[in-house]
Amino acid sequence: MAKIKLTLNGELRTIDVEPNDILLDVLRDKLGMKSPKCGCERGDCGACSVLLNGKSVRSCLVFAIEVDGQEVVTLEGLSENGLTTLQKTFLEFNSFQCGFCAPGVIISATELINKNPNPSTEEIKEAISGNLCRCTGYQPIIDAMKHCTSNK
Amino acid sequence: MEEYKYIGQPIVRIDGLEKISGAAIYADDIDFGTNLLYAEVVESTEAHALIKSIDTSEAEKVLDVVKIFTGKDFPFKFGLYMKDRYIFAQDRVRFIGEQIAAVVARNPKAAKRAAKLVKIEYEKLPVLVNQMDSFKDPEILIHPELDEYTHVPWFFPKTKTNVAHWRKTRKGDTQKGFAEAYYILEDTYTVPRYAHCAIETHVAIAKYDLSGRLTVWASSQSPHTQKNLFAEALAPLGLTHKDVRVIAPHVGGGFGGKAGVTMEIIAAAISTKLKGFPVKMRWSREQEFYNTYQRLGVIAELKIGVTKEGKITALDHKLYWDAGAYVEYGANVVNAVGLSAIGPYRVPNISIDSICIYTNLPPCGAYRGFGYSEFLFGLESHMDRIAEKLNIDPIEIRKINAIREGDKTAYGADMNPNGLFEAIDKVVKEIEWDKKIVSENEDKVIAKGFALFWKAPAMPPNASSSAFLKFNEDGSINILVSAMDIGQGFLTVMAQIAAEILSVPVSKIRVENPDTDRNPYEWQTVASHITWSCGNAVKNAAINAREQILQIVARTLRLPKEDLYLDDEKVKCKTKQDFGLPLREFVVAGIQAEDGTFKGGPINSSGIFMPEFSSTNGDPETSQGGHPNVHYTVGAGALTLEIDKKTGKMKVLKVVEAIDCGKVINSSLAKGQVVGGLVQGLATVLYEDMRFDKNGKLLNPNFTDYKIPTALDIPEEIVPIFIEVEQPDGPFGARGMGEHTMLPAAPMVANAIYNALGIRLKSMPLTAEKVAMAILNNSK
Amino acid sequence: MSLTHDFEYFKPKTLNEALDFLAQFGSKAKILAGGTDLILRIKEGFETPDALIDVKGIKELNRIELVDNVLFIGANITFSELIESEIIKDNFHLLWESSKTVASVGTRNRATITGNICSAVPSLDSGPALLVYNAEVLVKNSKGERKISIHDWFIAPKKTAIKSDEMVIGLLIHKHGKKNGTCYMKLGRYTGEDLAQAGVGILVSEENEYRIAFCAVGPIPKRFTKIEALLNGKTLNGELIKEAQLLALSEISPITDIRATKEYRNHMIQVMIERGLKTSIERLNK
Repeated sequence: MAKIKLTLNGELRTIDVEPNDILLDVLRDKLGMKSPKCGCERGDCGACSVLLNGKSVRSCLVFAIEVDGQEVVTLEGLSENGLTTLQKTFLEFNSFQCGFCAPGVIISATELINKNPNPSTEEIKEAISGNLCRCTGYQPIIDAMKHCTSNK
Repeated sequence: MEEYKYIGQPIVRIDGLEKISGAAIYADDIDFGTNLLYAEVVESTEAHALIKSIDTSEAEKVLDVVKIFTGKDFPFKFGLYMKDRYIFAQDRVRFIGEQIAAVVARNPKAAKRAAKLVKIEYEKLPVLVNQMDSFKDPEILIHPELDEYTHVPWFFPKTKTNVAHWRKTRKGDTQKGFAEAYYILEDTYTVPRYAHCAIETHVAIAKYDLSGRLTVWASSQSPHTQKNLFAEALAPLGLTHKDVRVIAPHVGGGFGGKAGVTMEIIAAAISTKLKGFPVKMRWSREQEFYNTYQRLGVIAELKIGVTKEGKITALDHKLYWDAGAYVEYGANVVNAVGLSAIGPYRVPNISIDSICIYTNLPPCGAYRGFGYSEFLFGLESHMDRIAEKLNIDPIEIRKINAIREGDKTAYGADMNPNGLFEAIDKVVKEIEWDKKIVSENEDKVIAKGFALFWKAPAMPPNASSSAFLKFNEDGSINILVSAMDIGQGFLTVMAQIAAEILSVPVSKIRVENPDTDRNPYEWQTVASHITWSCGNAVKNAAINAREQILQIVARTLRLPKEDLYLDDEKVKCKTKQDFGLPLREFVVAGIQAEDGTFKGGPINSSGIFMPEFSSTNGDPETSQGGHPNVHYTVGAGALTLEIDKKTGKMKVLKVVEAIDCGKVINSSLAKGQVVGGLVQGLATVLYEDMRFDKNGKLLNPNFTDYKIPTALDIPEEIVPIFIEVEQPDGPFGARGMGEHTMLPAAPMVANAIYNALGIRLKSMPLTAEKVAMAILNNSK
Repeated sequence: MSLTHDFEYFKPKTLNEALDFLAQFGSKAKILAGGTDLILRIKEGFETPDALIDVKGIKELNRIELVDNVLFIGANITFSELIESEIIKDNFHLLWESSKTVASVGTRNRATITGNICSAVPSLDSGPALLVYNAEVLVKNSKGERKISIHDWFIAPKKTAIKSDEMVIGLLIHKHGKKNGTCYMKLGRYTGEDLAQAGVGILVSEENEYRIAFCAVGPIPKRFTKIEALLNGKTLNGELIKEAQLLALSEISPITDIRATKEYRNHMIQVMIERGLKTSIERLNK
């Protein structure tokens, strides 16, 4: 067992982990963050995406112990001070159906907009291409992101 | 056209906020505390074998293991339409991945470690991985006790064979019909299996408490049906329906895969021996591929005869279905197709044989489209081919044969009102069918493809929905139903229906996921029938509530009931302009009369809907008689496809789909179904490619090698068109559409490929590789 | 989801610390950088290390530097960092283009090019570019360091020339002296992320020097030496392309697996060579 410290959604958290504990499991089972989801365990689907030091990563392919001393942000952290403009636009556009891919998509979309406030449609598609969605066919997600960013 | 306030509007879905904020709870998100146990299943590595022994001794020694279960603990059968399935394999295994045992431990790692230590000894049996071999080879029976299985009366298993059900439809005289034909085309089309790939895998947590009451939390499309199947299967343990409760949280995608019962029954069963402790089972992505329902595979032999003018004289359709090791649900897919495999056409002479065949591959079941995608691939390809041979425009040949209201369906019932012709015309116009597009790139060719589609809900004749409705002190409403929002947005649609009738805005109506103890019965969320069926139940409940409201106001305030109406959350009076009593003042508290007493009380109502005209008593040899399908939704689709002749890579430049879903209740959500369904449909024809080896092992049970589309793989333009021919018995005239949007995808692509290259591909999927190699082989 | 295999975890602060751990554990330790490959292999039971040495804290491995026309890419550099680097985009364009085709953003933010070459899977996207650029792999153990030419690095599928007590420090690439145009063509099953079923990396210089390498159609990635011998010094024309395509078939040995048949791979390599050459020349002339 090792004790690790991480900044989770802006808050310092301390937790005991085994070296082989997966970050996704620790976030969900020990740190109370249910938004990152388990979809495939192989890094193929992106449902587990979180921001690690500002960059989206597949938390199913990260050991919790690796994030000692680092910053993790999940969807819960994004919503803390009220919905972001991006979230509000997704809501307005009915962008999601079952919602299971939504946390991962929102993390990827947030990362894109943070570094590129005015992305092209191709850049939007590329940014979320690592998030598999089976319900929507992606168009309403892309439309919302386009709408949200082209108004800037 | 009536003007509605809420019906038809693109209202924001009422569960949207939960989903984009991270608040939405799915089954695996629920916390059960430190008592939670974890179950890991031990699976068969053989596709067909007798189980000689199961040695759990090493596994039992692993620290934190609590109990290990095998088939002998639960020798009970279960199944939706047929009871041919076991909680754990009994004397034999029938597919690779079938559950043989379950290890329960206090933490997931221990369960996993121990499961690896369980040793199974097999005595191999011959393996049947091809439905034609299984059909023709009666010496190897996958279910030797087929005769003993109970099943719905409208299934016809064939004794001493691997045929679990044979649906025959016969109408007129096909021999005569073919004799009259000017041209006959006969060919075979092959469609393989497909996987649902909902991003959330199956999850079930079961708790059998110290008082003997079983609760199951499951990601499910069918909480009440699951409750029923658990109670039936586990009755030998003393459970009754009153003891069983299913709670269904948000579902991360269903597509039919979470209908019926699959792995949930394992959790339910083992929990009864773990009294007081909740036990969780969560399927990995691999298990989701090989041990839940798959979409059936089919080999379809189609023969159609036509007059010189293109009118169909006879149709003979033989469909050999690969239904897998257990067919308790899949057999109904076979049945549904057997009743409808003429497509949306007038056919005077019909012979359909839809045959459900056992194989040693994963069990198949409900998948969006329920067999219709599978047969429409061949049928709509066939129609294009016939048109070309007769020198008739492919659109024209559809119109010549298109089914109309009042025509007879294949089993002799009347076809419902429908806008098929309107759909065809609008699609043709939007895709600019006659306009040829030439690519600027000499390596590329662009062509268009067209297809019709139809589907009816495949349900037992007494599938029903019910709803409870109650008011809160502020005039807001709770609606309790047991249908499931699997993404389609039905919760919002129910709120819109109630909002329209009761004049309460959608934002003040809560419709949420069910608890079978509190929410009234719903058969299943399948068949694209919930807007119609549950919508009717909610409509009835709302009308009932409105009746109570107007009644109490009339009698207490002595106003003529016929002059009262609801508007803007108030009761108003046509003959008294200044009268407006806010609902919130009395819907819980009652109305105070002049003498100071209170009249009325809480407004609570209920509504049900069950079609009373549906029946399955058709003749077993002809399917004539009876009314097995409530109504059909029809439509048409066309796409513009660009093909790179060197690489075979295809790009959908534009796809148009017109669907007659009756009254569109939520235009935004309806559009969502078209876009999502088309992308899923196109994926089955262009990308998804399930591979088994000859021993029955699934070689690509992951997203690395079973490719579902990403945001980079979608059509450039999708145009949904809604035709709104009223469904007479639908709420506000609505009809279902959730599955239908997928249906035309495969034949549109096949027809476009032919129109572009002159190459007819008859075996799905139609990948870039297949197209490129076909082009190469053609040029030799 | 849980891993059942136990191991010790170390996060050395300096390179020497890391090398000491390696010396201690030898083949029983694995270097953990991005982990997108390694962690999956541990999950699936293909790797069972006793120790993981997390090198992400070693600052000197985090550099991309171009000094005296020699590029150094540190072992911790991710594909995302390569894509965001102006140095890579402007001077090693084939590597930049190849990096963009690897998986998707979330994986590229963690996966390192070093990890990619250490995995030595036949389909690795960084293979062709590194071969075209004649890269060198800088490896070190507690006793010293050595350079291994990329042409000697790949031994067999999933096997490299590295010794069990060595770790990769980074990659060294000499900048090509002449103006050139490059192109990476990758065959996937669709536009979304996929492992290459065939890959071709091409460089054409203003002096008609041709460098062409493949991945995914042989046990290890390699240069098309016969095609280069055919084309070097010549201006490309239709006939030469046809000859090159024929030669290609003799230099590759694709297999049939669930991703593609060898017939399709053979065919596509020919298509990709033609299109890749034409595109490289277009870019050269821009």
